[in-house]
Amino acid sequence: MQCWNCHTDFAPGTLLCPRCGKVQPPAVGATLFDAFGLAPRVDVDIPELEQAYRERSLQVHPDRYTTAQARERRFALEQSTLLNDAYRTLKDRAARAFYVLKLHGLDLSREDLGTQKDMPLDFLEEVMQLREALDGHREKGALEAALHMAGDVSVRRSTALAEAEAALRQLLAHPGQDAARTEASHALARVRYFTRFLEEVDAMEEEALEG
Amino acid sequence: MSGLLQIHDPLKPKGQVVGIDLGTTNSLVAAVVHGTPRCLPVDEAGSPLLPSVVHYAADGGVTVGARARALAAEFPTSTLASVKRFLGKGRADAETRKLGAYRFADGVGDVVRFEVAGGTPVTPIEVSAEILRTLKRRAEAFFSSKVEQAVITVPAYFDDAQRQATKDAGRLAGLEVLRLLNEPTAAALAYGLDKGSQGTFAVYDLGGGTFDVSILSLVDGVFQVKSTCGNSALGGDDFDRAIAEQVLAARGLQAPTPAQVTAILAAARAAKETLTTAETTTLRVDGHHMEISRAQLETWIAPWVEKTGPVCRRALKDAGLSAAQLDGVILVGGATRVPAVRRYVQQVFGRAPLGDIDPDQVVALGAAVQADLLTNAQRQDEVLLLDVIPLSLGLETMGGVVEKLIPRNTTIPAAAAQVFTTFQDGQTAIDIHVVQGERELVADCRSLARFRLSGLPSLAAGMTRVEVRFEVNADGLLSVSAREQATGAVQSISVKPTHGLTDEQVEQMLLDSIEHAEHDIHARMLVEQRVEAQRILADAAKQLRENGDLLDATQRRTLEEAMALVQRLAGEEDADALREAIAALDEMAKPFIELVMNRAMTAALAGHSVEQA
Repeated sequence: MQCWNCHTDFAPGTLLCPRCGKVQPPAVGATLFDAFGLAPRVDVDIPELEQAYRERSLQVHPDRYTTAQARERRFALEQSTLLNDAYRTLKDRAARAFYVLKLHGLDLSREDLGTQKDMPLDFLEEVMQLREALDGHREKGALEAALHMAGDVSVRRSTALAEAEAALRQLLAHPGQDAARTEASHALARVRYFTRFLEEVDAMEEEALEG
Repeated sequence: MSGLLQIHDPLKPKGQVVGIDLGTTNSLVAAVVHGTPRCLPVDEAGSPLLPSVVHYAADGGVTVGARARALAAEFPTSTLASVKRFLGKGRADAETRKLGAYRFADGVGDVVRFEVAGGTPVTPIEVSAEILRTLKRRAEAFFSSKVEQAVITVPAYFDDAQRQATKDAGRLAGLEVLRLLNEPTAAALAYGLDKGSQGTFAVYDLGGGTFDVSILSLVDGVFQVKSTCGNSALGGDDFDRAIAEQVLAARGLQAPTPAQVTAILAAARAAKETLTTAETTTLRVDGHHMEISRAQLETWIAPWVEKTGPVCRRALKDAGLSAAQLDGVILVGGATRVPAVRRYVQQVFGRAPLGDIDPDQVVALGAAVQADLLTNAQRQDEVLLLDVIPLSLGLETMGGVVEKLIPRNTTIPAAAAQVFTTFQDGQTAIDIHVVQGERELVADCRSLARFRLSGLPSLAAGMTRVEVRFEVNADGLLSVSAREQATGAVQSISVKPTHGLTDEQVEQMLLDSIEHAEHDIHARMLVEQRVEAQRILADAAKQLRENGDLLDATQRRTLEEAMALVQRLAGEEDADALREAIAALDEMAKPFIELVMNRAMTAALAGHSVEQA
């Protein structure tokens, strides 16, 4: 990539030109990993990510460009927006995993996907049973029972996430390995179902607290 | 709200910049003076607190502050206080039905309008602009120079409509709003820089009408808001109303007049404040009195105080922290002086709160610091504020369900995009409804605006794909752009804010107020000249009566004609012409006055008083 101001070349993922210091626009097609100058990966050191986030924010936040020309302010806004999106996604284990899968062509974050048809039947039955049990608890206002279920489901979610991560590591090491990709997508679909279940219990708890 | 993301002109620091706390009960203006933030005096007594009260008189005059508050008892419907509660709200909002003395008018658009003396009903934006204008003038008096730029604070939990209304009020007051800064963040900034420490803090901000809790961490020069939660309709005013309702019940007053309501609310507030330090107090109003103890007060306000608990817990949860992990709790807002509130905060967070910076001033001080940081090139490297959007932004989808696009507590600036498609053949327009809130159904969220994307190519259903991009800037304000994917053309959007004023309406108000201001200046000058005219005519008439014999017929007639001209012009509207006529009369009368003086001196020298002639 080349600086728009002094035409010096610089590596992708660089925020400010190494020579003249001017803020650069995000590269076309930049991924959220690019926002941190990282290669796509499953595991991220969170304290390191947070430090990088602070350092990069100090470089590109719009507040630092209040008196700069319009082009720079526009670039700062774009970089900052991308950085914030990247930080939010990469610091959360599940969001990160979904994103890595998305980079490999499967976007599971949309609700309306047909992945349902790929899910094993017994899993879907299990989810339906969980759902019915929860509805029952909700009707009776049995918060304790619901929280107990949530404890179980939480463990299952972590397990599913760990399985997805293992598959994704495989995929990153050997791109194009469809089996790994499919395994990751099934595991993450399970994660998504469990997450939604936990959100519903959460909502029940909040309603109970706020009375 | 703008249709396309606008990159404005670069910020040119113009002279002195200030920070403004536009509060529900009191407003303040502060600035960094010789490196230290300080609140500026807003009245003759040197107080930094300007009561957020605006009085409208029948002759169109406007009074702001303590003087306005003094008129509340006599003019309850034309003296507006706590108008912040109504910013960005619609005519049907629950706020308009709470106990109060105001009369609401209907009009174009779903905006709150107060019926006041002097003619046209006023919107909360205009009322707030009067307060801001007063603060601006006081700051200008302090610095003896123009003040045209300010950071204005808003409750963290204000939604887009409320923020936009605040910005509009600033504009109307002649201020360029450098940043809308969240109040808890402003307070943390004032404390954080003051203490120079790193750490994680909770800010518990209970003002007159709004409540916010924010969790922030300060690390390596970056002040990051982790979460923010609140209730933009909960505050000290509710304590006053709770007391007032007890008083009304005790006296069996079921349909109190506006004047009674205002009087009782004022007495309730005074009682609440007294009970901060006293154990009992007597509430006196309308000749009745009622003994109230602190214990009773605490019972009455308990439901309101306890409403803040779940909000604190949610903020901690969203931040992923427990109360024990905090390094401190900061109290902000006058209502945190109430002992019951302090005890409750201690209970919820498990530690004694910090309050060494005056809770009334801390927000304005923080705003002043931010204003300085944004414009002072030498301070740019000091501290960076990373704030968040407090409420999720979403779109209405099929069945009245909300699809969240930007979740709450997302660090700003932030963006999200959604692709829309048509569902009928030949459909050339798509309606989009933007809402803000956490609930599932559109009906339970706040409506921000509706857009119509029109001029789309006429294709089969589902073939047109329009990408709508939402961007939230550092002020927490939303702007929207749309791109039709096939042609790549950016579509035109006509925006109708649901509970606000369009840009055109604000522009018109601005023009009207400028004309009004000129009219005001002219009106005042005319009055001054008329007073001067009466004085000079009275003097001249007296001299003619007593010493008219000193003039010959021609001189007398010339003088009388000049007087007649002044008399005539005083009854007309042209202040300039009147002033000139007065000056001409003054000039013309000089030789006559000299003769009169000579006569007086001669008589004095001869031992006679002129009066005896």
